[in-house]
Amino acid sequence: MDAANARRTLEDEERRGLAEIGSAADLTTLEAAETSLFGRKSAFQEVQRSLGSLGDDERREIGRRTNEVRDGLRRAIAARREALEADRERQLLDADRVDVTLPGRRPRPGSLHPLTIVEYEIVEIFTSMGYRVVEGPEVETEYYNFDALNIPPEHPARRVSDSIYLDVAGHADLLLRTETSAMQIRTMEKQRPPVYVIAPGRVYRNEDVTAKNMPVFHQVEGLAVDEGITFADLKGTLEAFYQALLGDRRVRFTPSFFPFVEPGLSAGALCFVCDGTGCPTCGFEGWFEMMGAGMVHPNVLRGVGYDPERYTGFAFGGGYDRLAMARFNIPDIRMLWEGDVRFLGRFEAAR
Amino acid sequence: MKVPLSWLREFCPTDLDAEDLAERLNVAGVHVEKILRPWAGLSGVIVARVKGKRPHPKSEKLTLATLETGNGEAYIAAGVANWEPGDLVPYAPPGSRVPVLDVPLGVKRMGGEESQGMICSPHELGISADHGGILILPTDLAPGADVAVALGLDDVVLDVEVEPNRPDLMSVLGVAREASAATGTKLVALDPVLDEIAETAPSAATVEVVDLQRCPRYLARVVRGAGDASSPLRVQARLTAAGMRPVSAVVDATNYVMLELGQPMHPFDLDQLDGNAIVVRRASQGERLETLDGVERVLDAEDLVIADRSVAVGIAGVMGSARAEVSPATTDVLLESAYFERKGILFTARRLHLSTEASMRFERGADPEGVGLAADRAISLMTEWAGGAPLLGSLEVGEAPPRARVSARPSRVSKYLGLTIGAGDIRQAFDRLGISTEEVHDDEVVVEAPGYRPDLRIEEDVVEEVARLLGYDSLPSTIPRIPQAGGVAPTYAFRRRVRDALVRAGLRETLSLPFVSTDEVHLAGDDPQHAVRLLNPVEGDRPYLRTSLLPGLLRALQVNQTHRVESAALYEVGHVFALGADGVRETERAAAAMMGPVSSGHPGDRHPADFFDGSGALGATLEVLGVRVWRLGEPGGWPFHPGRSAVIRIGDDEAGVIGELHPRAAEHLELPGRVTAFELDAETVSRHVSQDISVEDVPRFPPAVRDLAFVVDETVPAAEVAAAIRGAGTLVYAAELFDVFSGSPLPTGKKNLAYTVEFRTDRTLTNEEVDEAVAAIAASVRERVAGEFRAG
Repeated sequence: MDAANARRTLEDEERRGLAEIGSAADLTTLEAAETSLFGRKSAFQEVQRSLGSLGDDERREIGRRTNEVRDGLRRAIAARREALEADRERQLLDADRVDVTLPGRRPRPGSLHPLTIVEYEIVEIFTSMGYRVVEGPEVETEYYNFDALNIPPEHPARRVSDSIYLDVAGHADLLLRTETSAMQIRTMEKQRPPVYVIAPGRVYRNEDVTAKNMPVFHQVEGLAVDEGITFADLKGTLEAFYQALLGDRRVRFTPSFFPFVEPGLSAGALCFVCDGTGCPTCGFEGWFEMMGAGMVHPNVLRGVGYDPERYTGFAFGGGYDRLAMARFNIPDIRMLWEGDVRFLGRFEAAR
Repeated sequence: MKVPLSWLREFCPTDLDAEDLAERLNVAGVHVEKILRPWAGLSGVIVARVKGKRPHPKSEKLTLATLETGNGEAYIAAGVANWEPGDLVPYAPPGSRVPVLDVPLGVKRMGGEESQGMICSPHELGISADHGGILILPTDLAPGADVAVALGLDDVVLDVEVEPNRPDLMSVLGVAREASAATGTKLVALDPVLDEIAETAPSAATVEVVDLQRCPRYLARVVRGAGDASSPLRVQARLTAAGMRPVSAVVDATNYVMLELGQPMHPFDLDQLDGNAIVVRRASQGERLETLDGVERVLDAEDLVIADRSVAVGIAGVMGSARAEVSPATTDVLLESAYFERKGILFTARRLHLSTEASMRFERGADPEGVGLAADRAISLMTEWAGGAPLLGSLEVGEAPPRARVSARPSRVSKYLGLTIGAGDIRQAFDRLGISTEEVHDDEVVVEAPGYRPDLRIEEDVVEEVARLLGYDSLPSTIPRIPQAGGVAPTYAFRRRVRDALVRAGLRETLSLPFVSTDEVHLAGDDPQHAVRLLNPVEGDRPYLRTSLLPGLLRALQVNQTHRVESAALYEVGHVFALGADGVRETERAAAAMMGPVSSGHPGDRHPADFFDGSGALGATLEVLGVRVWRLGEPGGWPFHPGRSAVIRIGDDEAGVIGELHPRAAEHLELPGRVTAFELDAETVSRHVSQDISVEDVPRFPPAVRDLAFVVDETVPAAEVAAAIRGAGTLVYAAELFDVFSGSPLPTGKKNLAYTVEFRTDRTLTNEEVDEAVAAIAASVRERVAGEFRAG
C-alpha cells in the first residue's frame, strides 16, 4: 500500500469508524465495530503493516496520522461504551423497580402485658431508691396471710365469702394470698434489719368477675424496717414514689385502719378521669384510692423476733390493675384477662 | 353509717355545710364515702287542709277533694280516701316535685275531672315505705307551709365508712365526737329527763344473767301504760334516711337511740314474759327459736339467748323472736340495754348467717359504759311518743369493765412521727376528742380510754390519734437513707429475661384467670386427682387451680376466634399448682400458643402457622435465654398431635413440651386450623441458661463451604443427620439444612437432605483438607444414620 492509498484508507476508516460507533445501538454492535476497525484483518492493520515499506518522511507522517485516527476512534468507542453501559444499567434497574409503598416484611411483633409494663415502672422506681424485690408463693397459710399480720381469727377478711381457701386434705390452713403483705413476714423471718424490700405479685379475693372487679389482681408490697424509721419517712417515700410514677398529680394521705399497721394511712391520687370533680371511676369521691400503708404494728415486729423498741418500720401495699386501667384508658378490667390481640397489640409501643 | 346532718348538728352544732364537714372528717380519718340527698327530688309540696270530700262522678276508685292551700283553693282526685275534711295533708301542686317521680307534677284530667297535682303518701315523700294511704299531718301545721321544712325533709346525709376498729362510728354521736374534734365545735351532752313513777322496776320484773362472761352487763327498764302510736314524722324521716324502717313509737324509740348512741336495745312485751323474768343463758344444744324474720333457728350451746322463765325469747344481741315481741296490744314494755361480748355475737351471727343492725354493733364492740344513758334516752322518747310512764330505777346485773389506761411517752411518739411532740401536744389532741389524760411526768402521758373506744390500747394507738388530729398533711416528709443497692430476686430477674425472650420471638403477653374446670385439667393432660381443688371456687364450674398455663392460653385463642381475629400468638408466664407432699406444689411456667396465618405483612408472604412456627419461636426464646444445648425428643402426649409434638429436653432434663394440638382437642375447643403451643418449666430452664459470653472463638479466617446431600430413611430425624455431620470432625463449623426432598426419583421411604456445610480452622484450608473432611462426614452419616452420600 502506498502513502496515498494509506492516507485515503485512514480517512475512510476514520469516517466509517465514527459513523459505526455513533450508530452502535448496543454493546455487541459496538464490539463488532471495534473488531472490524482494529482486528487483524482490518484496513487499519493493513496500513500499519505497510508502514515499513514507506519512506522515512511518509512513514512518520502516516504513522502519526495512524495514531491520531486510532486514538480518536478508541476515545469514541470508550465514550460510546460508557453511554451504552449506562443505558443498559438504567434499563436493568428500571426493570427492577418496585413500588416502595408496598408493605414491608416485618418480624412478628411481640408485646408486654400492660400490667407488666406498670409493674416494671414501679419496680424500677423502688429499686433505684435502694429497695430489693422479693417474691413468694401465691398459695399461703393462714399464719402468713393473717395471724402474723395481726389479723384476728374473727376478722371479716378471713371469711370464705372474702377469701379463697383450698380444699387440700390435711392442710385446712391454705388459701390464695389475699394480699402481698405475707411477704413482710416471710422476709423478716429470713433476715435481720435493715430491711428494704418490695414484693409485687398476684393476689386473690372471693369476688365475682365484673367490669370493675376480678377475683385476681396485682399488688406491690413495700416494707422498710430499720432503726429510726418514722412516719415522716413513710410519707416522704410515698411522695417520692408517686412523683416518679405520676408526675405532679396531687396525692393525699388520710388516716385509715389496717390491722398490721398503726398508725395507718390511705393514699389517694386526684382522680385520673375527672380530676377531682367526681365520676364513676373514683366512686364520685374525686380521689382514686392508690394504696394502704402505715407504721408496722409492734405485734407484727414482735412476731418475727424484732424488738419494736429498737426497730420501727413502715409498710405499704397497693394494687396496680386499676392504675394500669387509668393509665391506658381501659374501660373494663376484664380486657386485661381476655388475651384479645387487638387489645394487646396496643402495648407494642410501650417500653 | 348514714348520718343525717341535722341529727349530727344536735350534738355538734357546726355551721359547716356537708361538703366542708366531710372534708374535715376525711382528713381526720373518718371517711365520708358519699353525701346523700334523699330528698333532692322534693320541692314545692305544701301543707293543705281538706275542705271538701265528694265521690268522683264516674270512678268508684277516685275521690275528689277541695283543698285549702293557704293561698286559695285547689281541686284534686285521689286514689285513696283515708282523709276527711279538716285533715291536714301534704299537697303537691302543679310544678312541684316529689322524690318518687322523675318529672314535676301537672294538671291532669282524671275521669273527666281536673286534678291539680296530688296529695301524697309517706312513701311518695320519702318518709317511709308506707304507701297505704295519704299522710295525715300533725294539726299544729298551717296550710301553705313547706312540707319539706316542716318535717325535716331537706336533710343531707353523710355516708360514713366504718372501719372495724372504730365501732363508735356506728352512731350519730360517735361521728359527732369526731366532727367536734375536727372543727373545734363543743360537743352537746345528752341529759334525758324521766318522769318516773313510784312503782319500782325491780318490783315489776327480774333479771338473771347466767353467763356473765358473754353478757358482762345487762340493764333493763320498765314502762307501764305505753300506747299504740307512731313516732313523729321527723323521726320517721330520720330513720328512713339512716336506712331503717319506721315501725311503731316503741320500736322506733329503741332504733332511734341505737342510731343515735350506738347502743342496740330490745323492747319486750312484759306481759308476755313468763314470770316477768329475763334470763340470759346459753342455748341448749338443738334449742329452737323462730326469729322475727320468720325463720326457725336451731341453736347450739355456743349461742347466747335471752329467755323468760320457760323459753328463749331472743338470740342475744342478734334478733328477737315473735314471742314477747311488742305489738299494738302491748302496754307494758321491758327495755333491754345490755353489753354482750363481741366474739360470741360474731360467731352466732356468722353461723346463722344473720347479720342485723344490732349484731353488727355488738360484734365490733359496743360501749359497756353507755347502756344506762341509752336506756334512759330510749325510755324518755318512748314515753314521749307512745305515752306511759317509766318505773323507778332499773334492773341491772354486772358492770362495765374498768377503763384501759394507755401510757404513752412523748419521746417515743416524737420518734415515731419524726416530729417533736410534747406531753402537752398529746393531751391537747385527746382534749379535742373529749378523752381525759393525765401527765404522770415529762415523758409519760396516760390516756384513759372510754368504753366506746376499744381501739385505744397501746402506745402506737396514741401515736395515731395524735397524728390524725394534727393532720397527716401537716406532718413532715423525709426519705430514709437506705444502706444497700437496690436489686431484684434471681427468680424475678429470670422472669424478666423470659418475657423479653418471648417478646423478641414475636409473642404477645397475656394473663388468664388461674381457675380451671375438670375438662380443662384433662385438656392440659393432667389428672384432676392431682389438681388442687378450691374450697369455695369463685366460678363454680372451675373448681381447680390450673395445672398448666395451656388451658388459659387456649381460652384466649377462643376469645380471639370469637372476635374474628384469625391470627394470634400469645404467651403467659405464671404459677401452676399441683398437690404435693407438703400440701401444694407451686411452680412457675412460661407457655405460648399460636394459631392462624403467619404473615410478614408483605403481599404473598403468608403461611398457615404450624409446628415449625412454634418450634422456631421456642428455639429463638431458648437461644436468647442462653440455653445452648436443647433438643426435641419423643412425642408430647395428650393434648398434642402424636406426629407433630415433642418433649423439650435440655441436657438430661425434661424442660417442657411442644406440639400442635391433637385435631380432636382443637375440634373440641372449636379452634380451626392448626394450633401450636409449648410450655416450659421456668426453674428447669433457669438451671441451663448461661450468660457467659466470650468472643474468643469467633473465626478470623474465611470458611470453605460445600453443599452436601444425603439420602436417608424417611424415619431418620434431620437432627440426627445434622448431629452426624457436626460430629464428623473438628473442621465442621456449621451445617445448615437447606432442602428436604422425597418422592421420585428417590425410592419410596427415602428422603434427601441437603446441607450447606462450613469448614473452618485458624488458617485458610486447602482443598485436600476439605475433601478429607467431606469424606469423614460421608463416613459418619453412613455409620450413624445409614445415610448415602449423594453429592458434594
